[in-house]
Amino acid sequence: MSLNVAVAASELTKRYGPVEAVRGIEFSIRRQECFGFLGVNGAGKTTTMKMVYCRIAKTSGSLHVLGLDASGHAGDIKRRIGVVAQQNALDPELTVIENLMTYAGFFDIARDAARAKADALLRSLSLDGKHDARIKDLSGGMQRRLVIAKALLNDPELLVLDEPTTGLDPQARLMVWEMLSSLRARGLTLVLTTHDMDEAARLCDRLAIMDEGRIFAEGTPHDLIAQYAARDVLELAGGDIIPDDGGLEALIVRREHHGATTYLYNEDNRALLRALAARGIDPARHVARPATLEDVFLNITGRDLAE
Amino acid sequence: MNPAEAFIRPNSWRVCRRNLLAWQKYAWSSVTINIIEPLVYFLAFGYGLGAYFTYGVHGSLLQYIGPGMLGLTAVNSATFDAAWGGYERLTNNGVYESMVTAPVAPEEIAAGEYLWQAFRAVLYGSIFLCVIASLGLVHSWLALLCLPVLALTGVLFAIPALYMAFIVKTPEHLFYYFALIATPMVMFGGVFFPLDKLPRWAFDIAWCTPLYHAVNACRALVTGAASWSTLGETGWLIAAIAVLVWLPHAALRRKLGN
Repeated sequence: MSLNVAVAASELTKRYGPVEAVRGIEFSIRRQECFGFLGVNGAGKTTTMKMVYCRIAKTSGSLHVLGLDASGHAGDIKRRIGVVAQQNALDPELTVIENLMTYAGFFDIARDAARAKADALLRSLSLDGKHDARIKDLSGGMQRRLVIAKALLNDPELLVLDEPTTGLDPQARLMVWEMLSSLRARGLTLVLTTHDMDEAARLCDRLAIMDEGRIFAEGTPHDLIAQYAARDVLELAGGDIIPDDGGLEALIVRREHHGATTYLYNEDNRALLRALAARGIDPARHVARPATLEDVFLNITGRDLAE
Repeated sequence: MNPAEAFIRPNSWRVCRRNLLAWQKYAWSSVTINIIEPLVYFLAFGYGLGAYFTYGVHGSLLQYIGPGMLGLTAVNSATFDAAWGGYERLTNNGVYESMVTAPVAPEEIAAGEYLWQAFRAVLYGSIFLCVIASLGLVHSWLALLCLPVLALTGVLFAIPALYMAFIVKTPEHLFYYFALIATPMVMFGGVFFPLDKLPRWAFDIAWCTPLYHAVNACRALVTGAASWSTLGETGWLIAAIAVLVWLPHAALRRKLGN
């Protein structure tokens, strides 16, 4: 495996009894990039993350993290990575600083060094002065930041974050985003899961779109939009009939229907609207907007609720 | 990782230290509860019932029950904290979950809990030892050797309690363990009355339970009647630990292992 690869998986499968949570996925995450797994709940993102941070064992396939085989080197891998799990695993019986010092101890970090590192992290995550606070007295955003501080105590080469901003208010979410951006800028490899398209587009260099335990598409946000949507999308809510004559088809890259809404993916909304007007179609209710990852996601996984 | 090795791993001691840090915040109430309750039983039985009869060759009730309650202090402190605390730390507040994202093995978590229960048993036991010494019920300096016996008792009783904590679906199921296993062991373990008048089969069952041996050892050391058989009782405790120690390890590995 190349030295430039942080995580590599092939035919990676996880079965819980008869349920196949992850079905033979393949991906390769480069060092110093931010890689995101995008998918709805139950897509297999968290299971994939848990295999990467060695919390659960794979059923079959291969998984290498930082050049080490995940089966058989869990301890060595855990020493070199940071983990922000979906549930804040903070010790409610300990104070903020006790949480950090206890956790640092498990990595054999000497007390003085751990204390200096903990103080620096609390400062940089705006948790200064919260050393002796109990966990229950911290807001949701503060708790999340504290979990990230914990994950950075051992100077990890790779930070794994499972839904880092789910449940946070907008200000707290923005703060976490800024923090992750600055970590990435400093050369830390980030792997995260999210179902927030905005978050994926902002943070991730590359994305894998997961659904029902499989990866359906992978690439940069820009490439994915180009491949599975188009630059623009015209949403027609009025149920207008759009003829598929040759002139229009040249402009429309892709059509999707959902309920009474038609989505026309195209490279230039203004040109498409002009062409529609020339044919006497003046859509009364329409939204003209650039295509986003959300369109990619919905085009791949379908617009209906899977549940 | 073999169980003996787990006891000497630094991370096992750090798990124990984590419990100590948490305990320090409610240390006074914990000490009070763990001492007052056995003390009330001790005084009620010893002075109350003891005013009406004695145990013949076994001496007064006060003298008989004192060292018995000493062993019981270790049993209670280990049983309740391992069962409730173990359940909470595994299931409700993510303490173990956080540990296994760090390089801490499930065996180290279990070993840390054993060490912690040994510490509690010795702490509460030594306070109780001071109480019975102040009442003139301790007749030998060998009584200090009760402390390692209490440590072993704490570890031994932590094993089934932790095992239950790691396998039950709801905490209410822990009551099955308390009611069906822990309480009978305590009542028929030789704490409150000598077992020599029980039918042979009942005595044989009692012999198979750990508290009987812990209490015998404590009583012999406190009264100065220690002999080679006291060493045998201690050996019984060590052997039982060696046989059972893997149970919580296996249960925890199923829950947390990869």
